[in-house]
Amino acid sequence: MSERRRPATRQGRPLWMFLPGGVLTLLVIVVPLAVALYISLLDLDQYSIREWVGADFIAFDNYVEAVRDSHLVHAIGISLGYSALVSLACVPLGLAAAIATQDRFRGRGLVRSILLIPYVLPAFVVGSTWRIIFQPDGIANRVLGTDGLWLNGPRSFWALVLVQLWSGWPLVYLLAAAGLQSVDASVHEAAALDGAGWWAKLRYVVLPQLRGPVSLALVISFLHNVNSFTLPFVLFGVPSPVDVEVLPVLTYVESFQNFEFGLSVAMAVISLVLVAIPMAVYLRAVRLDTGRERGSR
Amino acid sequence: MHRRTFAALISALLLGSALTACGSDDDGGGTTGDNSGVTLTMLMGVNNIYPEQQRAWFTEVSSKFQKETGATVRFETFASANDELTKIQTSVVAGQGPDVYALGTTFTPTAYATGAFVELQQDDWDKVGGRDRFLPATLGISGPDEQHQVGIPFASRPFVMAYNKDLLTAAGIDKPADSWDGLRDQAKQLTKDGKYGLAIGYADGFDPWKFIWAMTTQAGSPLVKDGKATLDSPNTKLAYQSYLGWLATDKVVDPAAVGWKNAQAIAAFGEGKAAFLPMVSASSKVTLDKSAVAGKYAYAVMPTIPPGATALPAGGVPATSILSGDNVVVAKYSKHKDLALALVKQLTSEESQTSYYKTFGELPTNQAAAKALGSDPALAAIVDSAGKSVNTPFTGAWGQVQLALTNVVVQSIPDLSAGKVDDGKLTGLLGQAQSTAQGALDKAK
Repeated sequence: MSERRRPATRQGRPLWMFLPGGVLTLLVIVVPLAVALYISLLDLDQYSIREWVGADFIAFDNYVEAVRDSHLVHAIGISLGYSALVSLACVPLGLAAAIATQDRFRGRGLVRSILLIPYVLPAFVVGSTWRIIFQPDGIANRVLGTDGLWLNGPRSFWALVLVQLWSGWPLVYLLAAAGLQSVDASVHEAAALDGAGWWAKLRYVVLPQLRGPVSLALVISFLHNVNSFTLPFVLFGVPSPVDVEVLPVLTYVESFQNFEFGLSVAMAVISLVLVAIPMAVYLRAVRLDTGRERGSR
Repeated sequence: MHRRTFAALISALLLGSALTACGSDDDGGGTTGDNSGVTLTMLMGVNNIYPEQQRAWFTEVSSKFQKETGATVRFETFASANDELTKIQTSVVAGQGPDVYALGTTFTPTAYATGAFVELQQDDWDKVGGRDRFLPATLGISGPDEQHQVGIPFASRPFVMAYNKDLLTAAGIDKPADSWDGLRDQAKQLTKDGKYGLAIGYADGFDPWKFIWAMTTQAGSPLVKDGKATLDSPNTKLAYQSYLGWLATDKVVDPAAVGWKNAQAIAAFGEGKAAFLPMVSASSKVTLDKSAVAGKYAYAVMPTIPPGATALPAGGVPATSILSGDNVVVAKYSKHKDLALALVKQLTSEESQTSYYKTFGELPTNQAAAKALGSDPALAAIVDSAGKSVNTPFTGAWGQVQLALTNVVVQSIPDLSAGKVDDGKLTGLLGQAQSTAQGALDKAK
């Protein structure tokens, strides 16, 4: 179990073989990250971009400004809130679809492909389409018998949740379906011999097997939503209505519309830290997963 | 997005260090002598309406340029404002990239702020054919003052108002009003039978601030003056109240317009569902000539008398439009400055400007070419507006001011849709906009 009990293999490791990967990691990840951290400490804007190395060093002023004078805190709240809601809501939908398409039936392949369509559509297309649906005189209001706004005001938050959910749930479905495939047929057989009904089978046989893939899907979906730029940008445009002012759009506006590069990189660093938390959970989950599998065999 | 800036900066950093050694010691950039083998690069926006024609135009420009100077021109295009900015930032940081750029006029102050583009001296102006070949108004946003200009006017897109001749005649209105209050009253008269007086794109990401800018400029209280913002002034508030009031309280705009962008407003007008369509440029002509109102509409300049007034107040400027269009700028790092100026001379000649207008519908900045067009009745108002356009403040902070102005409209839309312009909320939003704008102006160097 524990790695510490196997010092022999560790000693014989040809560490130099890590060199190419190490150099690549350094160039692709460490150097840019270091430069980003440095830029976040500079007063870098359109006046200093040309000689950016010479921009005034202002230490943590950008971070202070981001937290105190910008909409960052509000945007973090919106981003985390809607991402969590969407990710959680994806799970029952994805699971239901995976289980419903598990048994063989005529046209199963077709149904499975159709279910994946929302996920493979480019965010730009999804955003444009839903933008039309949510127009004040659009289909949404006609079907629901409502009137008023979906793309601004308090309802816009729910519009964002709905659209992101619509395009994101097939990820859970995909991973859950893959997980179901790996459940050994003999397990089902054994359960059947024991006289388990479908609920008991679902509760005690299928769902425990899906815990790994589904929690993975949950984390990936959360990260994807927190970082999602195109969909909110296309749906609501800039400047964003205050109820859907998400973090990536705010960062974009600071750098590409206001030319406050230092401030925007500071925001990016803060969002990186935020994203790192579920990421750490994710990495840990992946390692634990393989560990458990090894242990169980 | 931040990753992209970041990647740009990194690549720039790497490129930059490799390139500093090269310097600019080429041919000195002369247009005489042997330029064969020299290729200039020009960056401009891709034309989505006329892609074929644009490709043909690229070839034509290059071969003509080759005949005159021996050098060829390679065109690079960008598909969006985002691409444009990324490209400019990368080139500026790296000191390498296109020699000549075509930029939107409102971007010129920001480009100037970077210090990366050639400030034209008398000698340089002579090389592009002289300052007086251009419509004087079009030079208004070339730089902070005459001695410090980077932008050479290339195309002009002034804003005007389209009106439905049939609807106005039927209502007994002989011509569009010259004051905003008058326009509102005409619009009230024209709002009936499922048709509305005005078509406005309240959700447009670009246009709303232009109304506020025009009204406050006309009222003699400019939004930005000498580094001070006055976005919370009574005149600014009155401008917002009028603009938002058209839909909320005057009911002369289709309620669905809270979700419209400019294109949807043009479409509504094209279907004959609105009598006036303010804030359009000549580019709407392509759409409207294919619509139900083809032959039934005309252009007029927008009102120049501010809300609440019947005559232009003291200090008011009768601005018909923001100064809008494209400027070209030459990069400081270009090794072929003279050739670049020769290309600009070719592009801004009467002949090229006339042909450019015929192909793409962009108005000339060349005085002689514009004059010849002014005699076309369909375009008279547009050419007139080009001459009466007023520049937006020349400051690197303008982008932020503009965004703050638009944001007030965006955040007012829920109220608008409920049929009200909430006075307290508007005051609050204007206060926020004022502090954002002043903050940006204070940072301007």
